[in-house]
Amino acid sequence: MGQGARSRAWWLAPILAALVLPPLLDSYWLHVVSVSWYYALLAASWVLLAGYAGQFSFAHMAFAAIGGYTSGLLAANLHVPPPLGILCGILAAAIVGAAVGWLCLRLRGPYLSLFTLAFALIFQLFLIAEYQFTRGSLGLSVPALFGGNSDIPYYYTGFGLLLASLAIMHAVLRSRVGIFLRATREDEDAAEASGIDTSRYKILVFTLTSAIAGLAGGFYGHFVGILTPNLVTIPEMGLVVAMAVVGGVESLPGAVIGAVFVYVLSELLRDTGQMRFVILGLVIMLTQRFAQRGLVTLALAGAGRLLRRSVPAVPEPEAAIPLAEREKHVG
Amino acid sequence: MASGALVDASGLVKRFGGIRAVDGLTLSVAPGELIGLIGPNGSGKTTLINLLSGALSPDNGTIRLDGTRMNGKAAHVFAGQGVGRTFQIPRLFRRMTVLENLLAPALTRTGARGRGAIELRAAEVLAFLHLGALAQNEARALSGGQQKLLELGRAMMLEPRVLLLDEPFAGVHPKLLGEIVDRIKELSRRGYTIILVDHNLDAVGGLVGRLVVMARGRGIADGTPEDVLRSIDVIDAYTGA
Repeated sequence: MGQGARSRAWWLAPILAALVLPPLLDSYWLHVVSVSWYYALLAASWVLLAGYAGQFSFAHMAFAAIGGYTSGLLAANLHVPPPLGILCGILAAAIVGAAVGWLCLRLRGPYLSLFTLAFALIFQLFLIAEYQFTRGSLGLSVPALFGGNSDIPYYYTGFGLLLASLAIMHAVLRSRVGIFLRATREDEDAAEASGIDTSRYKILVFTLTSAIAGLAGGFYGHFVGILTPNLVTIPEMGLVVAMAVVGGVESLPGAVIGAVFVYVLSELLRDTGQMRFVILGLVIMLTQRFAQRGLVTLALAGAGRLLRRSVPAVPEPEAAIPLAEREKHVG
Repeated sequence: MASGALVDASGLVKRFGGIRAVDGLTLSVAPGELIGLIGPNGSGKTTLINLLSGALSPDNGTIRLDGTRMNGKAAHVFAGQGVGRTFQIPRLFRRMTVLENLLAPALTRTGARGRGAIELRAAEVLAFLHLGALAQNEARALSGGQQKLLELGRAMMLEPRVLLLDEPFAGVHPKLLGEIVDRIKELSRRGYTIILVDHNLDAVGGLVGRLVVMARGRGIADGTPEDVLRSIDVIDAYTGA
Protein backbone atom coordinates (compact mmCIF):
# COMPACT_ATOMS: atom_id res chain seq x y z
CA MET A 1 0.00 0.00 0.00
CA GLY A 2 1.46 3.40 -1.04
CA GLN A 3 1.86 6.39 1.21
CA GLY A 4 -1.21 8.15 -0.27
CA ALA A 5 -3.39 5.12 0.29
CA ARG A 6 -2.08 4.76 3.85
CA SER A 7 -2.80 8.40 4.48
CA ARG A 8 -6.38 7.99 3.21
CA ALA A 9 -6.77 4.90 5.37
CA TRP A 10 -5.55 6.94 8.32
CA TRP A 11 -8.48 9.31 7.85
CA LEU A 12 -11.01 6.67 6.94
CA ALA A 13 -10.35 4.75 10.16
CA PRO A 14 -11.89 7.33 12.57
CA ILE A 15 -14.79 7.92 10.15
CA LEU A 16 -15.58 4.21 10.03
CA ALA A 17 -15.14 3.98 13.80
CA ALA A 18 -17.66 6.80 14.26
CA LEU A 19 -20.10 5.05 11.92
CA VAL A 20 -20.06 1.76 13.86
CA LEU A 21 -19.94 3.35 17.32
CA PRO A 22 -23.67 3.92 18.20
CA PRO A 23 -24.61 0.30 18.96
CA LEU A 24 -21.68 0.18 21.40
CA LEU A 25 -22.84 3.22 23.39
CA ASP A 26 -25.57 3.48 25.99
CA SER A 27 -28.18 6.18 25.53
CA TYR A 28 -26.36 8.66 27.78
CA TRP A 29 -23.05 8.47 25.91
CA LEU A 30 -24.82 8.38 22.57
CA HIS A 31 -26.38 11.69 23.52
CA VAL A 32 -23.02 13.06 24.68
CA VAL A 33 -21.25 12.15 21.45
CA SER A 34 -24.16 13.47 19.38
CA VAL A 35 -23.93 16.83 21.17
CA SER A 36 -20.17 16.77 20.60
CA TRP A 37 -20.81 16.89 16.81
CA TYR A 38 -22.44 20.29 17.44
CA TYR A 39 -19.31 21.48 19.24
CA ALA A 40 -17.11 19.93 16.55
CA LEU A 41 -18.94 21.96 13.88
CA LEU A 42 -18.37 25.11 15.92
CA ALA A 43 -14.73 24.37 16.76
CA ALA A 44 -13.81 23.45 13.18
CA SER A 45 -15.48 26.53 11.68
CA TRP A 46 -13.89 28.73 14.35
CA VAL A 47 -10.52 27.23 13.44
CA LEU A 48 -11.07 28.26 9.82
CA LEU A 49 -11.98 31.78 10.93
CA ALA A 50 -9.39 32.32 13.65
CA GLY A 51 -6.66 29.76 13.00
CA TYR A 52 -6.39 30.00 9.23
CA ALA A 53 -7.75 33.47 8.50
CA GLY A 54 -6.52 35.15 11.70
CA GLN A 55 -9.92 36.67 12.58
CA PHE A 56 -10.01 35.98 16.31
CA SER A 57 -13.76 36.35 16.78
CA PHE A 58 -15.76 35.81 19.97
CA ALA A 59 -19.08 36.10 18.15
CA HIS A 60 -19.20 32.50 16.95
CA MET A 61 -21.74 31.35 19.52
CA ALA A 62 -23.96 34.28 18.59
CA PHE A 63 -24.10 32.98 15.01
CA ALA A 64 -24.98 29.53 16.32
CA ALA A 65 -27.78 31.15 18.32
CA ILE A 66 -28.96 33.09 15.27
CA GLY A 67 -29.22 29.82 13.35
CA GLY A 68 -30.92 28.02 16.21
CA TYR A 69 -33.38 30.76 17.13
CA THR A 70 -34.27 31.50 13.50
CA SER A 71 -35.21 27.88 12.93
CA GLY A 72 -36.87 27.55 16.34
CA LEU A 73 -38.94 30.71 15.95
CA LEU A 74 -40.01 29.81 12.40
CA ALA A 75 -41.13 26.40 13.64
CA ALA A 76 -42.89 27.78 16.72
CA ASN A 77 -44.66 30.69 15.04
CA LEU A 78 -45.08 29.69 11.40
CA HIS A 79 -44.86 25.88 11.65
CA VAL A 80 -42.00 25.84 9.19
CA PRO A 81 -40.59 22.30 8.90
CA PRO A 82 -37.25 21.96 10.76
CA PRO A 83 -35.08 21.21 7.68
CA LEU A 84 -36.37 24.36 5.96
CA GLY A 85 -36.03 26.29 9.21
CA ILE A 86 -32.41 25.18 9.55
CA LEU A 87 -31.74 26.39 5.99
CA CYS A 88 -33.28 29.77 6.91
CA GLY A 89 -31.11 29.80 10.05
CA ILE A 90 -28.00 29.18 7.97
CA LEU A 91 -28.98 32.04 5.66
CA ALA A 92 -29.69 34.41 8.58
CA ALA A 93 -26.39 33.58 10.26
CA ALA A 94 -24.53 34.04 6.95
CA ILE A 95 -26.11 37.46 6.35
CA VAL A 96 -25.36 38.70 9.87
CA GLY A 97 -21.88 37.14 9.62
CA ALA A 98 -21.21 39.05 6.40
CA ALA A 99 -22.40 42.27 8.06
CA VAL A 100 -20.18 41.71 11.11
CA GLY A 101 -17.28 40.85 8.80
CA TRP A 102 -17.83 44.08 6.91
CA LEU A 103 -17.99 46.10 10.14
CA CYS A 104 -14.75 44.45 11.33
CA LEU A 105 -12.79 45.16 8.14
CA ARG A 106 -10.59 47.81 9.69
CA LEU A 107 -10.26 46.04 13.05
CA ARG A 108 -7.32 43.83 13.84
CA GLY A 109 -6.13 41.74 16.79
CA PRO A 110 -7.61 42.68 20.17
CA TYR A 111 -9.90 45.32 18.64
CA LEU A 112 -11.59 42.69 16.48
CA SER A 113 -11.90 40.36 19.48
CA LEU A 114 -13.43 43.08 21.65
CA PHE A 115 -15.87 44.12 18.92
CA THR A 116 -17.09 40.56 18.38
CA LEU A 117 -17.28 39.95 22.13
CA ALA A 118 -19.45 43.06 22.49
CA PHE A 119 -21.64 41.87 19.62
CA ALA A 120 -22.12 38.48 21.30
CA LEU A 121 -22.98 40.03 24.67
CA ILE A 122 -25.43 42.47 23.09
CA PHE A 123 -27.07 39.60 21.22
CA GLN A 124 -27.36 37.60 24.44
CA LEU A 125 -29.00 40.57 26.18
CA PHE A 126 -31.34 40.93 23.20
CA LEU A 127 -32.40 37.29 23.57
CA ILE A 128 -33.08 37.85 27.28
CA ALA A 129 -34.81 41.21 26.88
CA GLU A 130 -37.12 40.20 24.01
CA TYR A 131 -38.67 37.45 26.11
CA GLN A 132 -42.12 37.87 24.50
CA PHE A 133 -40.55 36.82 21.27
CA THR A 134 -37.71 34.52 22.34
CA ARG A 135 -39.07 33.33 25.72
CA GLY A 136 -35.95 34.87 27.28
CA SER A 137 -34.21 32.89 30.01
CA LEU A 138 -37.16 30.46 30.22
CA GLY A 139 -36.01 29.05 26.91
CA LEU A 140 -37.63 28.57 23.53
CA SER A 141 -39.16 25.16 22.94
CA VAL A 142 -38.07 23.82 19.58
CA PRO A 143 -39.73 20.85 17.83
CA ALA A 144 -37.68 17.73 17.31
CA LEU A 145 -36.07 17.00 13.97
CA PHE A 146 -37.04 13.33 14.17
CA GLY A 147 -39.88 11.41 15.84
CA GLY A 148 -39.21 8.77 18.48
CA ASN A 149 -36.93 8.77 21.50
CA SER A 150 -33.72 7.47 19.98
CA ASP A 151 -30.71 9.72 19.54
CA ILE A 152 -29.32 7.55 16.76
CA PRO A 153 -30.83 9.62 13.90
CA TYR A 154 -29.35 12.76 15.50
CA TYR A 155 -26.00 11.04 15.89
CA TYR A 156 -25.79 10.21 12.18
CA THR A 157 -27.31 13.51 11.05
CA GLY A 158 -24.87 15.50 13.17
CA PHE A 159 -21.96 13.40 11.92
CA GLY A 160 -23.10 13.77 8.30
CA LEU A 161 -23.42 17.55 8.65
CA LEU A 162 -19.97 17.62 10.22
CA LEU A 163 -18.39 15.63 7.38
CA ALA A 164 -20.12 17.79 4.75
CA SER A 165 -18.98 21.00 6.46
CA LEU A 166 -15.43 19.68 6.80
CA ALA A 167 -15.41 18.80 3.10
CA ILE A 168 -16.48 22.35 2.18
CA MET A 169 -13.94 23.97 4.49
CA HIS A 170 -11.20 21.62 3.29
CA ALA A 171 -12.01 22.49 -0.32
CA VAL A 172 -11.82 26.20 0.51
CA LEU A 173 -8.45 25.75 2.20
CA ARG A 174 -7.08 23.72 -0.71
CA SER A 175 -8.15 26.39 -3.22
CA ARG A 176 -6.42 29.70 -3.85
CA VAL A 177 -8.81 31.24 -1.30
CA GLY A 178 -7.05 29.18 1.37
CA ILE A 179 -3.70 30.69 0.42
CA PHE A 180 -5.23 34.19 0.41
CA LEU A 181 -6.77 33.66 3.86
CA ARG A 182 -3.49 32.47 5.33
CA ALA A 183 -1.59 35.30 3.68
CA THR A 184 -4.08 37.78 5.17
CA ARG A 185 -3.56 36.20 8.59
CA GLU A 186 0.20 36.49 8.27
CA ASP A 187 0.37 40.11 7.15
CA GLU A 188 -2.60 42.06 5.87
CA ASP A 189 -0.54 44.88 4.34
CA ALA A 190 1.79 42.47 2.56
CA ALA A 191 -1.23 40.52 1.32
CA GLU A 192 -2.74 43.72 -0.12
CA ALA A 193 0.61 44.58 -1.71
CA SER A 194 0.52 41.12 -3.29
CA GLY A 195 -2.79 41.90 -4.96
CA ILE A 196 -5.07 40.13 -2.48
CA ASP A 197 -8.35 41.93 -1.81
CA THR A 198 -8.21 41.22 1.92
CA SER A 199 -11.60 42.87 2.63
CA ARG A 200 -13.34 40.53 0.23
CA TYR A 201 -11.80 37.39 1.70
CA LYS A 202 -12.36 38.49 5.30
CA ILE A 203 -16.07 38.99 4.58
CA LEU A 204 -16.13 35.66 2.75
CA VAL A 205 -14.64 33.73 5.66
CA PHE A 206 -16.94 35.45 8.17
CA THR A 207 -19.93 34.55 5.98
CA LEU A 208 -18.92 30.92 5.49
CA THR A 209 -18.01 30.21 9.10
CA SER A 210 -21.11 32.01 10.41
CA ALA A 211 -23.26 29.89 8.11
CA ILE A 212 -21.67 26.72 9.53
CA ALA A 213 -22.18 28.01 13.07
CA GLY A 214 -25.81 28.72 12.13
CA LEU A 215 -26.14 25.17 10.85
CA ALA A 216 -24.71 23.87 14.13
CA GLY A 217 -27.14 26.01 16.12
CA GLY A 218 -30.11 24.82 14.05
CA PHE A 219 -29.15 21.17 14.49
CA TYR A 220 -28.56 21.63 18.21
CA GLY A 221 -31.89 23.40 18.82
CA HIS A 222 -33.93 20.70 17.10
CA PHE A 223 -31.91 18.01 18.87
CA VAL A 224 -32.08 19.17 22.50
CA GLY A 225 -35.52 20.77 22.06
CA ILE A 226 -34.85 24.01 23.88
CA LEU A 227 -32.78 27.13 23.23
CA THR A 228 -31.75 29.61 25.90
CA PRO A 229 -29.54 32.72 25.90
CA ASN A 230 -26.95 30.62 27.75
CA LEU A 231 -25.91 29.43 24.31
CA VAL A 232 -24.13 32.77 23.84
CA THR A 233 -22.31 33.03 27.17
CA ILE A 234 -18.57 33.66 27.41
CA PRO A 235 -17.94 30.22 29.01
CA GLU A 236 -19.62 28.54 26.03
CA MET A 237 -17.39 30.51 23.64
CA GLY A 238 -14.42 29.70 25.87
CA LEU A 239 -15.29 26.01 25.62
CA VAL A 240 -15.21 26.16 21.81
CA VAL A 241 -11.89 28.03 21.87
CA ALA A 242 -10.52 25.44 24.31
CA MET A 243 -11.59 22.63 21.99
CA ALA A 244 -9.81 24.32 19.09
CA VAL A 245 -6.69 25.00 21.15
CA VAL A 246 -6.48 21.43 22.43
CA GLY A 247 -7.03 20.01 18.96
CA GLY A 248 -4.89 22.53 17.12
CA VAL A 249 -5.95 25.95 15.87
CA GLU A 250 -4.60 25.25 12.41
CA SER A 251 -6.14 21.84 11.87
CA LEU A 252 -9.74 21.07 10.93
CA PRO A 253 -9.57 17.39 11.99
CA GLY A 254 -7.64 18.50 15.07
CA ALA A 255 -10.51 20.80 16.04
CA VAL A 256 -13.04 17.99 15.58
CA ILE A 257 -11.07 15.55 17.71
CA GLY A 258 -10.35 18.32 20.23
CA ALA A 259 -14.08 19.08 20.48
CA VAL A 260 -15.06 15.45 21.07
CA PHE A 261 -12.17 14.95 23.50
CA VAL A 262 -12.91 18.05 25.60
CA TYR A 263 -16.67 17.50 25.64
CA VAL A 264 -16.39 13.83 26.55
CA LEU A 265 -13.75 14.66 29.17
CA SER A 266 -15.99 17.32 30.70
CA GLU A 267 -18.80 14.73 30.93
CA LEU A 268 -16.46 12.16 32.48
CA LEU A 269 -15.50 14.75 35.08
CA ARG A 270 -19.08 15.85 35.74
CA ASP A 271 -19.09 14.14 39.16
CA THR A 272 -16.19 16.35 40.26
CA GLY A 273 -18.46 19.42 40.11
CA GLN A 274 -16.65 22.72 39.58
CA MET A 275 -13.30 20.91 39.76
CA ARG A 276 -13.83 19.77 36.16
CA PHE A 277 -13.34 23.35 34.99
CA VAL A 278 -10.07 23.47 36.93
CA ILE A 279 -8.95 20.23 35.29
CA LEU A 280 -10.02 21.41 31.82
CA GLY A 281 -8.21 24.70 32.43
CA LEU A 282 -5.05 22.79 33.34
CA VAL A 283 -5.30 20.71 30.16
CA ILE A 284 -5.53 23.91 28.11
CA MET A 285 -2.65 25.56 29.96
CA LEU A 286 -0.43 22.52 29.54
CA THR A 287 -1.36 22.31 25.86
CA GLN A 288 -0.43 25.95 25.36
CA ARG A 289 2.83 25.48 27.21
CA PHE A 290 4.03 22.22 25.69
CA ALA A 291 2.09 21.73 22.44
CA GLN A 292 1.10 25.10 21.02
CA ARG A 293 -0.10 23.54 17.78
CA GLY A 294 -2.49 21.33 19.73
CA LEU A 295 -2.40 17.81 21.12
CA VAL A 296 -4.07 16.30 18.09
CA THR A 297 -1.73 18.06 15.66
CA LEU A 298 1.18 16.79 17.73
CA ALA A 299 -0.17 13.23 17.69
CA LEU A 300 -0.89 13.39 13.95
CA ALA A 301 2.63 14.68 13.26
CA GLY A 302 4.05 11.77 15.27
CA ALA A 303 1.85 9.30 13.42
CA GLY A 304 2.91 10.89 10.12
CA ARG A 305 6.57 10.37 11.02
CA LEU A 306 5.87 6.72 11.83
CA LEU A 307 4.02 6.37 8.53
CA ARG A 308 6.96 7.81 6.59
CA ARG A 309 9.41 5.53 8.39
CA SER A 310 7.40 2.48 7.38
CA VAL A 311 7.39 3.52 3.71
CA PRO A 312 10.63 3.87 1.71
CA ALA A 313 11.25 7.61 1.55
CA VAL A 314 11.13 9.37 -1.80
CA PRO A 315 14.41 11.29 -2.07
CA GLU A 316 13.97 15.04 -1.70
CA PRO A 317 17.54 16.22 -2.26
CA GLU A 318 16.81 19.94 -2.24
CA ALA A 319 14.65 19.99 0.88
CA ALA A 320 17.14 17.78 2.67
CA ILE A 321 20.05 20.22 2.34
CA PRO A 322 20.95 21.60 5.79
CA LEU A 323 20.47 25.33 6.35
CA ALA A 324 24.23 26.01 6.49
CA GLU A 325 24.60 24.44 3.06
CA ARG A 326 21.70 26.42 1.70
CA GLU A 327 23.36 29.65 2.80
CA LYS A 328 26.28 28.71 0.55
CA HIS A 329 23.90 28.35 -2.39
CA VAL A 330 22.62 31.85 -1.84
CA GLY A 331 25.69 33.57 -0.52
CA MET B 1 1.66 64.83 -16.99
CA ALA B 2 5.05 63.82 -18.39
CA SER B 3 4.38 62.19 -21.75
CA GLY B 4 5.33 58.51 -21.91
CA ALA B 5 5.90 58.27 -18.15
CA LEU B 6 4.98 54.92 -16.59
CA VAL B 7 4.83 56.38 -13.09
CA ASP B 8 3.82 60.00 -12.83
CA ALA B 9 3.45 61.59 -9.40
CA SER B 10 2.55 65.25 -9.37
CA GLY B 11 2.45 67.63 -6.41
CA LEU B 12 2.12 64.79 -3.90
CA VAL B 13 1.39 65.80 -0.32
CA LYS B 14 0.99 63.47 2.65
CA ARG B 15 0.53 64.80 6.17
CA PHE B 16 0.65 62.92 9.46
CA GLY B 17 -0.85 65.35 11.96
CA GLY B 18 1.22 68.50 11.63
CA ILE B 19 4.08 66.81 9.79
CA ARG B 20 4.23 66.96 6.01
CA ALA B 21 6.03 63.68 5.32
CA VAL B 22 5.78 64.28 1.57
CA ASP B 23 5.48 67.91 0.61
CA GLY B 24 4.60 68.67 -2.98
CA LEU B 25 6.86 66.09 -4.59
CA THR B 26 6.77 65.56 -8.35
CA LEU B 27 8.40 62.53 -9.96
CA SER B 28 8.17 60.90 -13.37
CA VAL B 29 9.67 57.56 -14.22
CA ALA B 30 9.93 56.29 -17.78
CA PRO B 31 9.31 52.64 -18.72
CA GLY B 32 12.41 50.52 -18.18
CA GLU B 33 14.13 53.16 -16.07
CA LEU B 34 16.07 52.24 -12.91
CA ILE B 35 16.15 55.17 -10.52
CA GLY B 36 17.59 55.49 -7.06
CA LEU B 37 15.78 57.44 -4.36
CA ILE B 38 17.95 58.55 -1.49
CA GLY B 39 17.70 60.96 1.40
CA PRO B 40 18.42 61.24 5.10
CA ASN B 41 16.21 59.57 7.72
CA GLY B 42 12.75 61.13 7.84
CA SER B 43 13.00 62.62 4.37
CA GLY B 44 9.80 60.87 3.25
CA LYS B 45 11.19 58.09 1.05
CA THR B 46 9.16 55.25 2.56
CA THR B 47 6.05 57.42 2.67
CA LEU B 48 6.52 58.06 -1.05
CA ILE B 49 6.81 54.30 -1.69
CA ASN B 50 3.64 53.79 0.36
CA LEU B 51 1.86 56.40 -1.76
CA LEU B 52 3.08 54.93 -5.04
CA SER B 53 1.94 51.44 -3.98
CA GLY B 54 -1.49 52.48 -2.67
CA ALA B 55 -0.70 51.64 0.97
CA LEU B 56 -1.41 55.33 1.69
CA SER B 57 -3.61 57.84 -0.13
CA PRO B 58 -2.20 61.28 -0.88
CA ASP B 59 -3.81 64.32 0.74
CA ASN B 60 -3.05 66.32 -2.40
CA GLY B 61 -1.58 65.70 -5.79
CA THR B 62 -2.11 62.92 -8.30
CA ILE B 63 -0.59 59.54 -9.02
CA ARG B 64 -0.86 58.13 -12.51
CA LEU B 65 0.23 54.73 -13.66
CA ASP B 66 0.64 54.55 -17.40
CA GLY B 67 -1.76 57.49 -17.66
CA THR B 68 -4.43 56.00 -15.35
CA ARG B 69 -5.25 58.07 -12.28
CA MET B 70 -4.74 55.87 -9.20
CA ASN B 71 -5.62 58.23 -6.32
CA GLY B 72 -7.77 56.59 -3.63
CA LYS B 73 -7.42 53.09 -5.01
CA ALA B 74 -6.59 50.23 -2.63
CA ALA B 75 -3.15 48.66 -2.51
CA HIS B 76 -4.40 45.43 -4.11
CA VAL B 77 -5.65 47.46 -7.08
CA PHE B 78 -2.19 49.00 -7.49
CA ALA B 79 -0.74 45.49 -7.34
CA GLY B 80 -3.30 44.33 -9.91
CA GLN B 81 -2.19 47.17 -12.18
CA GLY B 82 1.39 45.92 -11.98
CA VAL B 83 2.94 47.74 -9.03
CA GLY B 84 5.12 45.33 -7.07
CA ARG B 85 6.85 46.37 -3.89
CA THR B 86 9.11 45.24 -1.10
CA PHE B 87 9.21 46.55 2.46
CA GLN B 88 11.99 48.15 4.49
CA ILE B 89 11.76 45.25 6.98
CA PRO B 90 10.72 42.12 5.06
CA ARG B 91 7.04 41.37 5.50
CA LEU B 92 6.68 37.83 4.34
CA PHE B 93 3.91 35.35 4.98
CA ARG B 94 6.12 33.87 7.65
CA ARG B 95 4.31 30.65 8.46
CA MET B 96 3.77 29.81 4.80
CA THR B 97 6.34 28.07 2.66
CA VAL B 98 8.68 29.93 0.34
CA LEU B 99 6.74 28.50 -2.61
CA GLU B 100 3.37 29.60 -1.17
CA ASN B 101 4.76 33.11 -0.70
CA LEU B 102 5.32 33.20 -4.44
CA LEU B 103 2.05 31.53 -5.41
CA ALA B 104 -0.16 33.97 -3.47
CA PRO B 105 0.37 37.06 -5.68
CA ALA B 106 0.33 35.08 -8.92
CA LEU B 107 -2.96 33.36 -8.03
CA THR B 108 -4.66 36.77 -7.75
CA ARG B 109 -4.00 37.31 -11.44
CA THR B 110 -4.63 34.01 -13.15
CA GLY B 111 -6.92 32.02 -10.89
CA ALA B 112 -6.68 28.38 -9.98
CA ARG B 113 -6.89 27.10 -13.58
CA GLY B 114 -3.43 28.28 -14.44
CA ARG B 115 -1.85 26.84 -11.32
CA GLY B 116 0.54 24.61 -13.24
CA ALA B 117 1.89 27.57 -15.19
CA ILE B 118 2.15 29.59 -11.99
CA GLU B 119 4.14 26.88 -10.26
CA LEU B 120 6.46 26.73 -13.26
CA ARG B 121 6.91 30.51 -13.09
CA ALA B 122 7.54 30.28 -9.31
CA ALA B 123 10.23 27.66 -9.94
CA GLU B 124 11.88 30.02 -12.46
CA VAL B 125 11.78 32.91 -9.99
CA LEU B 126 13.21 30.74 -7.22
CA ALA B 127 16.01 29.60 -9.51
CA PHE B 128 16.66 33.22 -10.54
CA LEU B 129 16.97 34.18 -6.87
CA HIS B 130 18.95 31.05 -5.99
CA LEU B 131 16.28 30.00 -3.49
CA GLY B 132 15.17 26.81 -5.22
CA ALA B 133 16.50 24.58 -2.46
CA LEU B 134 14.31 26.34 0.08
CA ALA B 135 10.96 26.11 -1.72
CA GLN B 136 9.29 23.96 0.91
CA ASN B 137 10.76 25.74 3.93
CA GLU B 138 8.67 28.13 5.98
CA ALA B 139 9.60 31.72 5.14
CA ARG B 140 10.39 32.49 8.78
CA ALA B 141 13.29 30.00 8.62
CA LEU B 142 15.16 32.12 6.05
CA SER B 143 18.06 34.43 6.86
CA GLY B 144 17.52 38.20 6.62
CA GLY B 145 19.10 38.41 3.17
CA GLN B 146 17.14 35.45 1.89
CA GLN B 147 13.96 37.08 3.13
CA LYS B 148 14.82 40.20 1.11
CA LEU B 149 15.32 38.02 -1.96
CA LEU B 150 12.04 36.20 -1.37
CA GLU B 151 10.20 39.51 -1.07
CA LEU B 152 11.71 40.53 -4.38
CA GLY B 153 10.53 37.23 -5.85
CA ARG B 154 7.04 37.75 -4.48
CA ALA B 155 6.87 41.14 -6.18
CA MET B 156 8.18 39.58 -9.41
CA MET B 157 5.33 37.06 -9.38
CA LEU B 158 2.92 39.94 -10.03
CA GLU B 159 4.61 40.37 -13.44
CA PRO B 160 5.00 44.00 -12.39
CA ARG B 161 5.31 46.98 -14.67
CA VAL B 162 7.09 48.82 -11.89
CA LEU B 163 9.03 47.54 -8.89
CA LEU B 164 9.32 49.64 -5.74
CA LEU B 165 12.21 48.37 -3.63
CA ASP B 166 12.37 49.85 -0.15
CA GLU B 167 15.89 49.52 1.25
CA PRO B 168 16.70 46.11 -0.26
CA PHE B 169 20.28 46.26 1.05
CA ALA B 170 19.54 47.26 4.66
CA GLY B 171 20.90 44.79 7.22
CA VAL B 172 21.97 42.31 4.57
CA HIS B 173 25.14 40.23 4.97
CA PRO B 174 27.82 41.51 2.55
CA LYS B 175 27.85 38.14 0.78
CA LEU B 176 24.16 38.40 0.00
CA LEU B 177 24.36 42.11 -0.79
CA GLY B 178 26.26 41.37 -4.01
CA GLU B 179 23.65 38.76 -4.86
CA ILE B 180 20.80 41.24 -4.46
CA VAL B 181 22.66 43.90 -6.49
CA ASP B 182 23.20 41.37 -9.28
CA ARG B 183 19.54 40.36 -9.27
CA ILE B 184 18.38 43.97 -9.48
CA LYS B 185 20.83 44.66 -12.34
CA GLU B 186 19.50 41.62 -14.17
CA LEU B 187 15.88 42.71 -13.67
CA SER B 188 16.74 46.14 -15.03
CA ARG B 189 18.46 44.54 -18.02
CA ARG B 190 15.26 42.57 -18.64
CA GLY B 191 13.32 45.83 -18.89
CA TYR B 192 11.71 46.13 -15.45
CA THR B 193 11.01 49.68 -14.29
CA ILE B 194 12.52 50.01 -10.81
CA ILE B 195 12.45 52.66 -8.11
CA LEU B 196 15.07 51.79 -5.55
CA VAL B 197 15.20 53.40 -2.11
CA ASP B 198 18.28 52.92 0.02
CA HIS B 199 20.81 54.56 2.31
CA ASN B 200 23.70 52.62 0.80
CA LEU B 201 25.02 55.30 -1.56
CA ASP B 202 27.77 53.08 -2.93
CA ALA B 203 25.35 50.30 -3.83
CA VAL B 204 22.70 52.65 -5.23
CA GLY B 205 25.16 54.93 -7.06
CA GLY B 206 26.74 51.96 -8.80
CA LEU B 207 23.40 50.59 -9.93
CA VAL B 208 21.29 53.44 -11.21
CA GLY B 209 21.54 55.90 -14.04
CA ARG B 210 19.40 58.46 -12.30
CA LEU B 211 19.33 59.52 -8.67
CA VAL B 212 16.59 61.48 -6.94
CA VAL B 213 17.33 63.00 -3.53
CA MET B 214 14.60 63.80 -0.99
CA ALA B 215 14.84 65.99 2.09
CA ARG B 216 11.98 67.12 4.33
CA GLY B 217 9.45 65.55 1.97
CA ARG B 218 10.67 67.35 -1.14
CA GLY B 219 12.81 66.43 -4.09
CA ILE B 220 16.00 68.47 -3.84
CA ALA B 221 18.05 66.93 -6.64
CA ASP B 222 17.47 64.79 -9.69
CA GLY B 223 20.15 63.70 -12.14
CA THR B 224 23.03 61.34 -12.73
CA PRO B 225 24.63 59.96 -9.55
CA GLU B 226 27.85 61.88 -10.26
CA ASP B 227 26.05 65.22 -10.59
CA VAL B 228 23.68 64.67 -7.71
CA LEU B 229 26.32 63.59 -5.21
CA ARG B 230 28.29 66.76 -5.96
CA SER B 231 25.24 68.96 -5.34
CA ILE B 232 25.64 71.40 -2.44
CA ASP B 233 21.99 70.91 -1.44
CA VAL B 234 22.52 67.18 -1.17
CA ILE B 235 25.67 67.58 0.89
CA ASP B 236 23.80 70.03 3.15
CA ALA B 237 20.87 67.65 3.55
CA TYR B 238 23.12 64.76 4.54
CA THR B 239 25.39 66.77 6.82
CA GLY B 240 22.50 68.71 8.36
CA ALA B 241 24.08 72.04 7.40
